[in-house]
Amino acid sequence: MLDATQASENVASVRDLKVHFQSKRGVVHAVDGVSFDIQDGETLGLVGETGCGKSVTGRSFLRLLPVPPGILAGGAVSFRPHGPCTACEGAGCEACAKTGRRASGDQPVDLLSISLQDMRRIRGDRIAMIFQDPGKALNPTLTIGAQMSEVFLQHRTAELLDRAGLPPDTAGAVRRFAAQEPRFGDGLILKFPPKRGQRAKLQVALNQMVTEALAETQVPNPAKLMDRFPHELSGGMRQRVMIAQALACNPDLLIADEPTTALDVTVEARILELIRALQQRRKTSVLYISHDLSLVRRICDRVAVMYAGRIVEIGTTEDVFANPRHPYTRGLMAAVPTAGTARGKLAAIRGTVPELVDPPLECRFAGRCPYETATCRQNDPSLQPVSGGHSVACFIDHPTGSQDAPSFDRVTE
Amino acid sequence: MQLRDYIFRRLLVLPILIIGVSIVVFTLTRVGGSPIGIYLSHEMTPSEVAEIQARFGLDQPVWVQYLQWAKGILQGDFGYSGVAAAPVSDIFPLKLAATMELAAAAGCVALFLGITLGTFAGARRNRLPDHITRIVAVSGASLPQFWFGILLLIVFWAQLGIAPIGRSDATIFASIDHPTGLYTIDAILAASPKAFWDAVWHLILPALTLGYGATAIIARMMRSALVEELQQDYVDAARAKGLAEKIVLKRHARRNALVPTVTVIGLTFGFLLQGTITIEIIYRWPGLGRWMADSVLRGDQGTLMTYVLFTSVLFLLVNLIVDVVYANLDRRVTLGK
Ligand SMILES: Nc1ncnc2c1ncn2[C@@H]1O[C@H](COP(=O)(O)OP(=O)(O)O)[C@@H](O)[C@H]1O
Ligand code: SF4
Ligand SMILES: [Mg+2]
Ligand SMILES: [Zn+2]
Repeated sequence: MLDATQASENVASVRDLKVHFQSKRGVVHAVDGVSFDIQDGETLGLVGETGCGKSVTGRSFLRLLPVPPGILAGGAVSFRPHGPCTACEGAGCEACAKTGRRASGDQPVDLLSISLQDMRRIRGDRIAMIFQDPGKALNPTLTIGAQMSEVFLQHRTAELLDRAGLPPDTAGAVRRFAAQEPRFGDGLILKFPPKRGQRAKLQVALNQMVTEALAETQVPNPAKLMDRFPHELSGGMRQRVMIAQALACNPDLLIADEPTTALDVTVEARILELIRALQQRRKTSVLYISHDLSLVRRICDRVAVMYAGRIVEIGTTEDVFANPRHPYTRGLMAAVPTAGTARGKLAAIRGTVPELVDPPLECRFAGRCPYETATCRQNDPSLQPVSGGHSVACFIDHPTGSQDAPSFDRVTE
Repeated sequence: MQLRDYIFRRLLVLPILIIGVSIVVFTLTRVGGSPIGIYLSHEMTPSEVAEIQARFGLDQPVWVQYLQWAKGILQGDFGYSGVAAAPVSDIFPLKLAATMELAAAAGCVALFLGITLGTFAGARRNRLPDHITRIVAVSGASLPQFWFGILLLIVFWAQLGIAPIGRSDATIFASIDHPTGLYTIDAILAASPKAFWDAVWHLILPALTLGYGATAIIARMMRSALVEELQQDYVDAARAKGLAEKIVLKRHARRNALVPTVTVIGLTFGFLLQGTITIEIIYRWPGLGRWMADSVLRGDQGTLMTYVLFTSVLFLLVNLIVDVVYANLDRRVTLGK
C-alpha cells in the first residue's frame, strides 16, 4: 500500500477502517472506510459535526471501543513507534529533541490485530489520549497524584526502581508494587519492616516523577496539587493534569478528542497554546479532533474533514482553507461565526447527519448538498487527489462521465 | 469540615437523640398496656392490684415514672425481666453476645458474598456470573426467611443430619470458659480448635439464612453501581493509560461502585437485626431475638423497653459509621451540610 519513503514519514496510517455498531434499528456504520496518514511530528486536525465518527476513529488507535455493541468490521491502523535515537543512542540530542527517540525504520504494528497485552504496552506509553471532559475522565475518588502515578508504575518500573536507589532485579512485593501487579496481602507486607523503607523510597521517587510531569504543564505548585482530588480543581487545571498524564511517557502519538470543548473560551486558548508548545518541543504527533474549524485552523498542519463515517476532504491547512473543494467543507466554513455575524445567526448547513444504518450507495452528503444532481444519488464518490496532498470525495472535481455532473456554479437545492 | 470535627459534633448530638428516643420508647410502651400485666391474675382484688402499682411507683404521674425509669437506666438498672426471672441487666449481655455473634457472622457472609457476586455480575454482564447473581438476588429478596430457614433445617438437620441446631454442643460448651460470650472468640482465647469448630459449625446455617436477604440486596446494588461506573469516561481513561483490566476494575470502578453500596449496607443492618427474631426461633438460638419474642407475647415491658432503646442507639451509631465510611470513600461529600 505505502512505498518505503512515504511509510517512514508516517507515525500512523489508517487504511479503510470500518467500525460498526449493532443497534436496535440495525448496524450503524459509524466509521465506514476511512483512510489517512499521520505524518511524523505533525498535528492533524479531524473535523466534522457531532456524530460523524470522529471519536470512534480516534479511539480505534487505542482500541477503546465497546465491543459489543461495536464491531471492528475491517481495515487496519498501523503504527510505527519511535525507536532509540541513532545519533545519541537514547541519551538525548538535538536531532531527537532531547527525547532520545526518533522515527525508526521498523515494521509498523497493526493496532487492530495485536494482542491485548501488546496493546496495553502501547497505551499511555507510545500512544496517549486526552478526553473531551477532564471532569469525567479523572477518577473522582483518587487523588491527582495517585492517578498520575499509575502511568509511571505501568510503563516506567525500571526508572522508578533506579530513582529509588533499588536494584533493577528487585523482586517480591516491592517489585509488584513498582510494576502495579498487586497481589493479595502485598499491602500488609509493605506496611511493615523490612519492606516498609523500600516502599517509602519508591513513593518519594514516584512523587518526584509526578511533580516533574505536572511542572511541564506550568501548573502552579505541582507538589501540592498531587494530594488534591479532581473536584477541587478548575476545569482548566484538570485538563492540564490530563495533558501532563498523557505526555508523561513522551508518547509518539497523542489523540486529543475535543480537549477544550468543555472549557471556557479563555481557558481554551491557554490549553491550546500548551498542547502546541509541548508538541513542538517533544516532536509528538497529534491527532486533534474537533468540531470547530477555526480552532483547527489555528493549530493544525493538515486537516481531515469527516462526514457521516467518511473522510470527505483532506489536505494541508492552507490548501483546505484557501480552496475548499467539498460542499460540506464549504458549509462548515460558512457556519463559522466571524466578527461580522451576530451570535446565534450562523449560516448553518440545513438538515442533520443521516442515520448510518445500512447506508445506501450514494453520496452521503446528498440531501443536504446545495449542488447535488441525480449522479450524486446513484454513485458513491471516493477520495481522489485534486492536487499534491489535497484530496476530495465529490463529483464536482471528479465527474463520473455521466451527463449531469454537479458544479459549484449550479445551485440545485 | 474536618472529618474529626464532624464525628465529634455528631457524637455531641447523640445524647439528645437518645433522650428523644427514650421518651418515644417509654410512651409507646405505656400506650401498649400496663407494665404490671405480667404479675396480675384474675383472682387478685383491686386493693392487691393497687398495692402492686404502688410498689412499682405506678401511682405517680407519668413523667415522674419516666424520670425514675431513666434514672434507673443511668444507674445500670434496666428493670426486672419476668420472662427470665432475673434483672434485665443480668441477662441482657449474654443474650446480646449470642445475637451479635450471629448478626456479625451473617453480616460477614452478606458483605463478602454480596460484593463478590455483585462485582462478578457487573463486570461480566449477561454472562454466567450475572445470571447466578440474578437468581440469588431475586430469591433472596422474595423467599420468606422463615421458609428458607425451615427448608435448610429439613434438608441439613432432619434429612442429612449433618447440621446441628442450637448454639453449641453441651459437653464442648462446658469444657471451656466463656469470658466474652462470643463462642468463637472464647474458643480462640481458650486455644481450643474443637470448641472453635463447634461454634462455627453451629453458626453456619443460621448465618447463611440470616445473611441471604442482605446478600441479595448488596449484590444487586453493587452490580448496578458497577455497571454504571464502568460506563464512565474515567474507566476508559484508566484503560488508555495501559492499566490491566483487573486494576481498572478493582482500583477504579469497584471502589467507586462501593460508594452507593455502603449506604445500602448500612440499611441492611436493620434488616439483619429484624431477621434475628425469626432465625433465633427457628434455630433455637438463645439470643435477644427469641427473648424478645417471648417478652412481647407475655408483656414483659422492662425487657422490651431495653431492647428497643438499645437497638435505636445501635442504629444511630451505625448511621454515623456509614456516613464516615461514605465520606472516606468519596471526598466530594461535603460533611455537615
Ligand atoms: N458506544 C456506542 N454504542 C452505539 N453506537 C455508538 C457508540 N459510540 C458511537 N456510536 C455511533 O457512532 C456514531 C459516531 O459517534 P462518534 O464517533 O462519537 O461521533 P463524533 O465524535 O464525531 O461526535 C454515533 O452517531 C453513534 O451512532
Ligand atoms: S457528490 Fe454531489 S451530493 Fe455529494 S458533495 Fe459532491 S455535489 Fe454534493
Ligand atoms: Mg466525539
Ligand atoms: Zn538523539
